[in-house]
Amino acid sequence: MQIAELKAELERLHSASFGWALSCCRRDQTEAEEVLQTVYLKILEGKARFGGESSLKTWLFAVIRKTAATEYRRRLLRSLRLSGDPEELVERLAIGESQSAGFERSELQGHFQEAMKSLPRRQREALHLVFYEDLSLREAADVMGVSIGSARQHYERGKKRLRESLATMELGYGINWGRAGNPSAV
Amino acid sequence: MASIGEEQEIRALFSELRLADEQTAPGFNAVWHRAQARSLKPRRAFNLSFAVATGLLICALGTLAFWSMRSQPASPASASAIMSAQAGSFAARSERSSNVAGTSAAPQYSRPVVKNRVRRLVPPRHDQEIAVNQQLTREAKAIASWQSPTSDLLSSPSDGLFKSLPQLNENANELKSFLPNREKR
Repeated sequence: MQIAELKAELERLHSASFGWALSCCRRDQTEAEEVLQTVYLKILEGKARFGGESSLKTWLFAVIRKTAATEYRRRLLRSLRLSGDPEELVERLAIGESQSAGFERSELQGHFQEAMKSLPRRQREALHLVFYEDLSLREAADVMGVSIGSARQHYERGKKRLRESLATMELGYGINWGRAGNPSAV
Repeated sequence: MASIGEEQEIRALFSELRLADEQTAPGFNAVWHRAQARSLKPRRAFNLSFAVATGLLICALGTLAFWSMRSQPASPASASAIMSAQAGSFAARSERSSNVAGTSAAPQYSRPVVKNRVRRLVPPRHDQEIAVNQQLTREAKAIASWQSPTSDLLSSPSDGLFKSLPQLNENANELKSFLPNREKR
């Protein structure tokens, strides 16, 4: 694939790529942008090459996921080197995350994001790829680098846990979650 | 039915999130151009961690080489030469001591002339073997000259009579001396 053609495709997928990078970076916008930039750099330098084994979107998302993991590790190490106290580091990371939370969220959206953050990484990824990026389970499995059975398990468990978390919050905050779209649900 | 409704709700929440993300997403061209600028930037020639790692590796290799040179065992040829030299001196020493046995003057014993460095190269195991051999020789000599503590009980004053035979040309009185003493009735 020529670089101009690839660039056009990347531009088309840019918004979805940013959303996925945000999810991989725990919704840290600055870090997501940095990761996306690194991914484009890898493509420009030929370090990441699309072989055509899967769809471009699946390949790109896998590269983003891997780059985000590497960047996260690097950032963690750098922070550890600067401050020897791991607890302080975790606090600082949490502050960074909350500061870069993005947009003015509705109450339900806020609880939803909190519930998403409380999920294990694999489950969060599976839900994001299926619901946010509209990928099939097979494509999600390709991006995550796991078998389709494993991806399905992460997806089902993630959905169940998300439901439970939101239901708990509903009890705590008095939000009528899950009944607006389905009045027959008890 | 409930799960379908919940799934729709989750999907709605995700689409809401996606819309919000699209609004805050940086422009593609900006990110792309920054990546291009980064790719054109020359790489840093000196990498500190790489230099430190290389230095440590060189130090480790140097230490290893020095240690291996110091602790290298002697070659078989030189070791056998040294062993034969020592064995020769040992034999000469024992011969000299046997020759001068009984004389009052103690033999002046000259140490074998072996350079210190060569002696250091001899593995200590050889010295141990020599010591073991000497001890075995001493034990063998001790066993050869061993006498039973009850051997004195086997000897008596009449041993001469028992061990000698009467001759035919001896007279009767002399022959009687071989007979046991009889009590007079």
